[in-house]
Amino acid sequence: MITAARLGKRYGAKVAVDDLTFEVRPGTVTGFLGPNGAGKSTTMRLMLDLDHGSGETLFDGRRFGTIRHPMREIGAVLEAKAFHPTRSARNHLRMLAAGSGVPAARVDEVLEFVGIAEVARRKPKGFSLGMAQRLGLAQALLGDPGTLILDEPANGLDPHGIHWLRDVLRALAAEGRTVFVSSHLLSEMSLMADELVVVGRGRMIYNGEVDGFVRSFTRSSVLVRTPQADALAAALRLLPGVTTSAEGDGALRVAGADAAAIGDVAFDAGVRLHELTTTTASLETAFMTATGDAEEYVARGVA
Amino acid sequence: MNDALRFEWVRLRTLRSTYWLIGSALLLNAVIAVMIAWLEPDAPPRDLVVAAVTGGGANLPVPMAVVLLSVLGVLASGHDYRYGTIQPTLVAVPQRARLFTAKVLVVGAVALVVTATSIVLDVALTFPFWADAPRLTDATVFGYLLLGVLWAVLGVALGQLLRGVPGALVVLLVTPMVVEQLIFRLSYTPALDWLLPAVKFLPFTAGLQLVSAAGEASGGLADEVGLFTRWPSGAVFAVFVAAAAVTAATLFRRRDA
Repeated sequence: MITAARLGKRYGAKVAVDDLTFEVRPGTVTGFLGPNGAGKSTTMRLMLDLDHGSGETLFDGRRFGTIRHPMREIGAVLEAKAFHPTRSARNHLRMLAAGSGVPAARVDEVLEFVGIAEVARRKPKGFSLGMAQRLGLAQALLGDPGTLILDEPANGLDPHGIHWLRDVLRALAAEGRTVFVSSHLLSEMSLMADELVVVGRGRMIYNGEVDGFVRSFTRSSVLVRTPQADALAAALRLLPGVTTSAEGDGALRVAGADAAAIGDVAFDAGVRLHELTTTTASLETAFMTATGDAEEYVARGVA
Repeated sequence: MNDALRFEWVRLRTLRSTYWLIGSALLLNAVIAVMIAWLEPDAPPRDLVVAAVTGGGANLPVPMAVVLLSVLGVLASGHDYRYGTIQPTLVAVPQRARLFTAKVLVVGAVALVVTATSIVLDVALTFPFWADAPRLTDATVFGYLLLGVLWAVLGVALGQLLRGVPGALVVLLVTPMVVEQLIFRLSYTPALDWLLPAVKFLPFTAGLQLVSAAGEASGGLADEVGLFTRWPSGAVFAVFVAAAAVTAATLFRRRDA
C-alpha cells in the first residue's frame, strides 16, 4: 500500500507537482497517467526521496528513507537506460544486489525472467530501448519487492512486448503486490491498469477506476442527417441540456440526448430523418478532454 | 554501512576503467623508477632515490600516477551523473551520507593499496641498478601513501560536488598545473609580492611537499617562497580535501538527486 499525501514540488516560480494526494492499493495495477510534462516523473522522484519537496509518501506506513533494504520492498525504475554502458547487465544487477543484501543467484533468475539472459554478460551500450526496459524491470524485481514503481515501462516496447509487460504486471498484482505504473498513453494504461491516477500540470484530474474515467470524460453524441435541419435543431433546443451544431450538408451533431429521444422529437415535429448515428468518444478522446487544458507543452498548428 | 561498502566494492570491480587506471599508475611509476635507476646507477643522491620510489617526487607540477588514482575517485561519484545510475544507486542505498562515505572509504583504501604496491614495486625495480636499496622507512614513503589517498578522496569529492566527470577532471588538472603555478610564479614579481604569504596555502603545492626530498618543493625555491615544511604542508592539503569532502557530502544530502 502506497499512501502519498499532499506531494508538492516547485522549481522557482513554476509548480511542477501541486498538492497531489492518492493511494495505490495492493492487488491492482494503478496507472499514473498524464501528458508529457504533467509532473509524473517528479511525483515518482518525490515518492522515492530522490527529490526534496513537500508532502509525504508512506510505503506500508514507512517513509522510503527509513527502510533498511528498500530494493527488497520497493522495486523502482525511473529511467530506461540508467546503467553504465560497459558494465554488463549481470554485473549491474550484482552491484545493486550487493547493496541490498540480495543473494547474487537472484540476478540470473530475474535476467531469465525478463528474457535477456542471453545478453546478460554483454556490454549494455548496444541495448535497444526495449532491452533496456527489460533490464529495468529485472532491476525492479531483483529484491522480490511487494511494491513496484515504474516510470513509462512500456516506452520502446513493441506490441508483443507491451502485451508481455501487461501480463507480467497483472500477474504480479494478482500475487498481492502494489503496482504503480506511469504512461502518457491512455491506450497502454487501458490495457494494463485497473485504477487510474490522472494528472495534468501537476494537479490531480481524476483518481478512480479506468471505466469511470472513460465514463466521466466521454460524452456520446448523435449525428443526424435531415433535409429539415433548421426545424429539427429548433425543436431539439427546447429539450433541457441539449446542444446542437450544424456540420454542413444537412448534418447536425446533437449532444445531450440519445438517438431514441431525437427520433421521437423528429417524429413529433414532422421532420424526416435520413440518418441517425450514435458516436462514442474513444479513450484517447476522453484523455484529451480531461487533460486538454492541462497540457504543459503545446505545439502550434501548422500554418 | 556494510551494504554500502559492498555495493561500492562491486561497483569498482565491475568497471574496466578501474583496472586500466590502476595498471597505468603502476606502470608509469615503474617506468620512472627504472629510468632514474638506469641513468644514475652509482651512488644516487637522495632526491633521485626519493623520485624513483615516489613516481617523480615533488619535481612535477602534479604527481602523475596519483592523478590517475584521483580519476578513479572522480569516476566513483561522477559516473552516477554521467550515466544516470544515481537513481538505481539511491534506490538500493538511499542513505546518501552513508553512500558517500562508502565511496570515500573504498576508493581511499584502494588508493592506499595501489600506492603501497607501487612503492614496493619501484624499490624492487632499483635492485639491479643500485647497491643500496631505498629505505621504506623514509618520510617521503609515508608522505606518498598519504598523498595518494588524499588525491583519490579529492577525486570522489569533486565528482560529487560537480556532479559529473569532465568538470571534476578540469578542476583536478587546471588548478595545480595552471592556477597554482601562475600564483606561485607571480609571487616572485616585486609588484605582486603580497601574494607570498598565500603561496604556502596553495593546496596542491602544499600537498606536493609530502614527497619532497628536502621537505620543501621545487628545488630549493621553498625557502624564498616560504612554504611550510612537509607535515604542516600535508595538513594544509588534508584540510582542503576534507573541506571539499564535507561540502560535497552536505550538498549531496540537500540537493535533488
